[in-house]
Amino acid sequence: MTLADKLAIAFACMLLPYLYINLWGNNSQGERVLIQVAEQAPMILPLDYNKRLEIEGRLGTSIIEIKDRQVRFIDSPCQSKRCVIEGWLGQDHETTACMPNGVSLQIIGKDARFDAMNF
Amino acid sequence: MKARSTVIRPLSLLGLILSLLIGCDSQPASHQQQILALGTLVDVVIYGEDEIKAQQAVQTVREQLEKMHHDWHAWQPSKLTHINAELAQGHSVPLDNEGVRLISQSMQLAQQSDQLFNPASGQLIETWGFHSDERNNAPPPSDEQLQQLTQLAPSMANLALKGNQLSSNNPAVQLDVGGFAKGYAVDLSIKALRSIGINNAIVNAGGDLRAIGNKNGIPWRIGIRHPRQPGVLASVDAEGDESVFTSGDYERYFDYQGQRYHHIIDPRTGKPAEGTSSVTVIHTDATTADAAATALLIAGPTQWLDIAKKMGITQVMLVSTASQIYMTPAMAQRTTLMESPANPVIVLTLP
Repeated sequence: MTLADKLAIAFACMLLPYLYINLWGNNSQGERVLIQVAEQAPMILPLDYNKRLEIEGRLGTSIIEIKDRQVRFIDSPCQSKRCVIEGWLGQDHETTACMPNGVSLQIIGKDARFDAMNF
Repeated sequence: MKARSTVIRPLSLLGLILSLLIGCDSQPASHQQQILALGTLVDVVIYGEDEIKAQQAVQTVREQLEKMHHDWHAWQPSKLTHINAELAQGHSVPLDNEGVRLISQSMQLAQQSDQLFNPASGQLIETWGFHSDERNNAPPPSDEQLQQLTQLAPSMANLALKGNQLSSNNPAVQLDVGGFAKGYAVDLSIKALRSIGINNAIVNAGGDLRAIGNKNGIPWRIGIRHPRQPGVLASVDAEGDESVFTSGDYERYFDYQGQRYHHIIDPRTGKPAEGTSSVTVIHTDATTADAAATALLIAGPTQWLDIAKKMGITQVMLVSTASQIYMTPAMAQRTTLMESPANPVIVLTLP
């Protein structure tokens, strides 16, 4: 075995954990969030940067927080506040919306386990 | 020179393996888009079509949903509110072709469900405050109010459809198509998609969906959300043409003085149906699946098998409020539970 062979084998061994995590790891964890606002172009944002957004919807401002690879509504001008009560979303396909304000959030995973969610 | 090639060759081989591995991960892209329609989020997934065709497909679905929303809205001026006003005055009302199809189908489904699926009970739904986008903080209706309404016993059996003329022999009949509107709209959307040559798609209206075709030979994988905790309860693979509909007590509700009241009203008691957290139905057409999921949730753990049989539904999963999972054999055969339930699943054969 030459030095080059040894180097190649060592390199391959070092690469294995990376390949495992990225190709066979927990891919249900969300990567990005799709933010849709009625009558506006959709936005897709990564979940790996903490951020606070103010989104103007039909009734007023929805405040959305991205933190620790999760996203949630902090506030919205609807009456029921169901979107706020829903709390954090982080798994692929998780969805919530403030329907009165026309703002929705959907997690987009790297490699979705499901093509659609039924509920 | 030789030393150089001994370095390059293994590294090239490694590079080749790497690119093959990464290549294995890449799937042909499917087009997915959400629409805000029917008072919910509608997710459209199109597979195997170019961007222009997929956009055309989404627009087609949007048009169908908006038409349905406009025509059959229960509390904003619509064809439906006009029909209700005429019926309440004892008049017969002419329907267009779409109206005849929708009303006759709902009459048939109501009859098959022993009137547990009861789109004629619009007054009850309104009395509970569910005829608004945002229910105010009013208390639930009193027992006396509910007793009065249930004694009037409006049902689809009170309606007569002669040709395109709809009439009622009970002025308490107020139609509310909320129990199957999503299913009907999804069916219309799938029909429209097929008419423009789309054969591999999912239309998912707020969690209730119909899936046609597949993804390059691989069935669509559908996750069924847990009714009582975050995450997925079960998964099923859908291929060809199947609708997966769930009715749950967690979908629309309000809390008043510590008590939760959900929106699926039992027409026999006038109160939210008891005993069941969710019912999932798989059936070919979405309209039937939607109506059946509603009827079976109302039927509850003691009656669901009888009603499923009468409605011709063979694939059902019912989760009781005691967290007991019941399934029909056909459902059990194709369902994968994501984790072991607290109690073993009870598989029951239709009578």
